[in-house]
Amino acid sequence: MTYSSFLVSEFLVLWRRKQDVFNALLFFVIVVVLFPIGINSSPEFLAPAAAGIVWCATVLAILMAVEGMFKEDYHDGSLEQLVVSGLSLPLLILLKIVAQWLTVVLPLLLMMPLLSEMLYLPSSGFWVLTMTLLVGTPSLFFIGVIGSALTVSIKQGAMLVMLLILPFYLPVIIFSTLAVKASQAGLPYSGLLAMLLAISLLSLVISPFMTAIVVKASVN
Amino acid sequence: MSWAWFHKLGSPKWFFSWSKPWALPVFCFGCLSLLIGLVWGLVFAPADYQQGNSFRIIYIHVPVAMLAQSCYLALGVAGFVFLVWQMKMAPIFIKAMAPIGAVMALIALVSGAIWGKPTWGTWWVWDARLTSVLVLFFLYMGIIALQNSLDDQVLANKAAAVISVVGLINLPVIKYSVVLLETLHQGPTFTLTKKPDMPPEMWLPLLFAVIGLYCFVAGLLIWRMQSEILKREYRSSWVKQEVTEHGL
Repeated sequence: MTYSSFLVSEFLVLWRRKQDVFNALLFFVIVVVLFPIGINSSPEFLAPAAAGIVWCATVLAILMAVEGMFKEDYHDGSLEQLVVSGLSLPLLILLKIVAQWLTVVLPLLLMMPLLSEMLYLPSSGFWVLTMTLLVGTPSLFFIGVIGSALTVSIKQGAMLVMLLILPFYLPVIIFSTLAVKASQAGLPYSGLLAMLLAISLLSLVISPFMTAIVVKASVN
Repeated sequence: MSWAWFHKLGSPKWFFSWSKPWALPVFCFGCLSLLIGLVWGLVFAPADYQQGNSFRIIYIHVPVAMLAQSCYLALGVAGFVFLVWQMKMAPIFIKAMAPIGAVMALIALVSGAIWGKPTWGTWWVWDARLTSVLVLFFLYMGIIALQNSLDDQVLANKAAAVISVVGLINLPVIKYSVVLLETLHQGPTFTLTKKPDMPPEMWLPLLFAVIGLYCFVAGLLIWRMQSEILKREYRSSWVKQEVTEHGL
């Protein structure tokens, strides 16, 4: 096994289980739809709240996708193969995250124009929201995989991952929604985007190593 | 300076026998100091010119809030120690410490809400400090839930250490992010560098209460760690000897 063959096989697995990716996307849309129906469907409420709604839905959808990331591999033994393969485990985990991020976030971004129309988000806010998604979602994946690896041996791990990981997502949600709000108020928002990028980079540095520690402990 | 004491801490047996005479005196001293601080503060200290008697809840709220943060710091450091040096005592410490910290965060939230009602006119505001203590509480609960649901001891140790360290790294980010939301809370009551603004008859009982609560928690922690050691090492001969000689 090499790094490139691993990446190819990851994409192949994701392609063959496209229903899962599709489900995550559908889940995302349904959560977004809950807000106008449950709270208020007037443009006066939705336009300022749109960024928050989209981000809450994104966080939940990504957590659902990330939660099962190692489960299949753990049960069929391929996770053990990664550990004994002789390749760098943190790097393999990083590649896995990249594959997962591309397959989950890109369709989600493609949905954004449609959703922002449904939520009456003005076009200036739309571009900022898209940018926050681009720079913010990597950190969600990086932090999420730690939780996913921690609970890989537990049967009903989804709830536990939510409880463990959601507190860590708060800063990302806060910075993103503040950035969109600032742009809607005509204020500069590049500092907030830089903070999001900083969180993503920080988690990029920490997460693969932490996840590797946990994965090694889990497969023994 | 010799580092022998640090390496000795890795041995549950050594820690058990070392900590045995400490728990009770520390705990009693903590109780006494806490009692002095609370009685002094709640009964004898002068009322605040602005907040009246409702300010007295400070004598519970501030020590508990300080403890809630210190406990998390300690958890993170213990997690780091375990990941780097594989020290056996660190997961025992985390296991003993996490519920105490969670209770402290909860008391801080509740006492803060009770204090907020007469002074701010509301039980809860989405203020930076309140939100960060709430998040702290969730982090504690996450650690406890994770430890309880992992059956494998080795994995549970690693998992708790990893999540504590990740939490400690993230805590400043969380704090900074919630500060960007508006803030209503007053600044810190005690800082190490500055003389407090309050008159001494007001902050002295607070100091007693803070020191008392720290010692109280330290005593409690030592007991919890000792019972955890006994639970984990029940197969070893020194535990058998200990139990048959001294009883439980």
